[in-house]
Amino acid sequence: MKKIILVGKPNCGKSLLFNQLTGLRQKVANFPGVTVELKSGQFNDFEVIDFPGTYSLHSLSKDEEIAIDKLNEALTDDNTALLVCVLDATRLERSLVFGLQAQALAHRHNKSIVFALNMIDEVQRFGLDIDADKLSKTLGSPVFALSAKALTGIAEFKKALPTLAANPAAVNNSFSHLDEKQLLQRSRDLGGEFAVNVDLVLKNQNRIDAFLLNNVLGGVAFLAIMFFLFQSIFTWATPLMDGVETIIAGTAMAVTSFTGEGIVSDFLNDAIFGGLGSFLVFVPQIMVLTLIIGLLEDSGYLARAALICHKPLSYFGLSGRSFIPYLSGHACAIPAIMAARTIESPRKRLITMMTIPLMSCSARLPVYALLIAVLIPENQYLFGLFNMQGVAFFGLYFFGIVVALIISLILNQMTAKDKELSDMPFILELPTYRLPHWKPLIHKVLNSGAQFIKRAAPIIFFVSLGIWVLGYFPQDGDLQESYLGQIGHFVEPIFEPLGLDWRYGVAIIMSFLAREVFVGALGTMFGIAGADENIGGLAANIQADGLTLGAGIGLLLFYVVALQCVATVAVLKAETGKARIAWGLYVAYGILAYIIAAVAANVIG
Amino acid sequence: MTLWEMKAKSHAHIDSICDSLTSAVASRLAEMGFTAGQPVICVRRSPLQGPLVVQIGDCVYSLEQAVASKIRLSQLS
Ligand SMILES: Nc1nc2c(ncn2[C@@H]2O[C@H](COP(=O)(O)OP(=O)(O)O)[C@@H](O)[C@H]2O)c(=O)[nH]1
Repeated sequence: MKKIILVGKPNCGKSLLFNQLTGLRQKVANFPGVTVELKSGQFNDFEVIDFPGTYSLHSLSKDEEIAIDKLNEALTDDNTALLVCVLDATRLERSLVFGLQAQALAHRHNKSIVFALNMIDEVQRFGLDIDADKLSKTLGSPVFALSAKALTGIAEFKKALPTLAANPAAVNNSFSHLDEKQLLQRSRDLGGEFAVNVDLVLKNQNRIDAFLLNNVLGGVAFLAIMFFLFQSIFTWATPLMDGVETIIAGTAMAVTSFTGEGIVSDFLNDAIFGGLGSFLVFVPQIMVLTLIIGLLEDSGYLARAALICHKPLSYFGLSGRSFIPYLSGHACAIPAIMAARTIESPRKRLITMMTIPLMSCSARLPVYALLIAVLIPENQYLFGLFNMQGVAFFGLYFFGIVVALIISLILNQMTAKDKELSDMPFILELPTYRLPHWKPLIHKVLNSGAQFIKRAAPIIFFVSLGIWVLGYFPQDGDLQESYLGQIGHFVEPIFEPLGLDWRYGVAIIMSFLAREVFVGALGTMFGIAGADENIGGLAANIQADGLTLGAGIGLLLFYVVALQCVATVAVLKAETGKARIAWGLYVAYGILAYIIAAVAANVIG
Repeated sequence: MTLWEMKAKSHAHIDSICDSLTSAVASRLAEMGFTAGQPVICVRRSPLQGPLVVQIGDCVYSLEQAVASKIRLSQLS
């Protein structure tokens, strides 16, 4: 299949244009350089490949290097029919710096290039316009003025693309041979000739920044946004979670009334609805978290947050850019570790990656939610704005961040010697504030839920199944006497210092595969033990069973610190290139978690 | 005078980029618009010597001290 390649500087709206062309949804983010992978989709008979946004063809960070290598590779490919370079019409001069480099590159490879002059709706909103025909003549390549958001010019563009791809035309201008310096001058001249007034474009952005970056108000706004984020995971998601719970309980009732009493119904109740079900309940929370991070990303606020955090984070040997990986680490460590590629300094990148697993990812949510429901009363203050359980959540997230910062500080001290050599400075573009486009956002949210289920459900299913079989036999439902009970009593001494009995021990050991397993495993065991009752909430069962406050808090802190995710270890290994670091962290965080939990259990009692 | 010494809301022109920056960083800065003669506005300063925010050409950037103090301004502003 012939290929069309999409390039452009970050935040020119390339991802959205890609979506409009291919109908394939993908991440649309407003933080410079967030697109790391190549995305491809189909448009008519062409494969469209979306390249990560780069500021120039001279790489500064690892992700740019990867992107540029791939681009060169793609341009030597005979199947590549056309290069589409997306320009931001509101920032023409800056876009053209990359645009002219891309054009020269296409010229060298004898490929044709077209320019998509995106964001033309914003220019028109100021009552201005850009003369695309004249620009096209000057550049010697076709230029299409369009808006991927307002959809102006998209139809014409789609119509013209196949013809352009089928009839490659060489670049026809006088400056493809210019050197770097001359190209820069050239784009400045073109900007001067065609671009709209800068002050007009930047007025809104600067006005909002005057508030959001204000020394006092900006800090307050930042803290408020973060607090709102964590509070909402709990309060907004609750009705949805209750809904899911009701559906699962209803299904369980309906199905088991159909199967009647006996081993089949025991199995369905304990392993399927008890194990797998108690984990599905948390999917809405994951989606709410993704929604809010997505909103912040697409609106442009995350770049400001990085700026605000740069100085404080630099005391710990991190960069302001570490903030975005840290924040997305609260959804899932895997994309977060990959997002760390945007950190220019290799050393800061490594420290960030090594501490990301301490961010409370959504897989910990089920564990937190369960144990908080067991330990903390549901009191509300200030008309429901503050909820004790929400505050407890905030505390756990906060604890994870504090531990991460302490470890960063230690790692920074350990590597301080080669500090000067490898450090790249912090330079960040502040993009325009924009209202996020709802379509890609909704898709991203649904996708996060689906991905989470897809990744975790099989493991959870098999672990639940295994635990159920071991826990049900040989005595048909007597947990204490089961195979599992026997294994459990064997490992119980390890967990005694934590004040936990063998059932928790088994669940903890299982969750070293993937931490989501904890709730399911516990659900299955409590399900077997209380075979006659229906699956009332697992939290109520644990409360009735008795869990001391100290042991409970220790268990929570254990889950904050422990790196119980084999998938994260694999990504760490791939991104750092060192298996030693990845598995070392797995073990080290496990030991640290154990010590912290033991201290908590014994101090609080 | 360097970019780092600019006061909030003041205007100036870029003179040159210090040689002590690696050539990769220097050429990126040039591509971002930091070339001789370009007008630059310091939009804001952050507390505790945090990164400053400047407007150059059609973009707004945030730069930390390590790099801003390596960009020289010309006197003519
Ligand atoms: N007003 C306007 N906004 C756009 C247009 N195209 C994209 N955007 C927005 O610009 C932001 C960045 O777009 P994105 O596709 O993530 O850019 P990328 O970084 O180049 O992939 C998003 O908030 C988009 O919704 C456009 O034509 N007009």
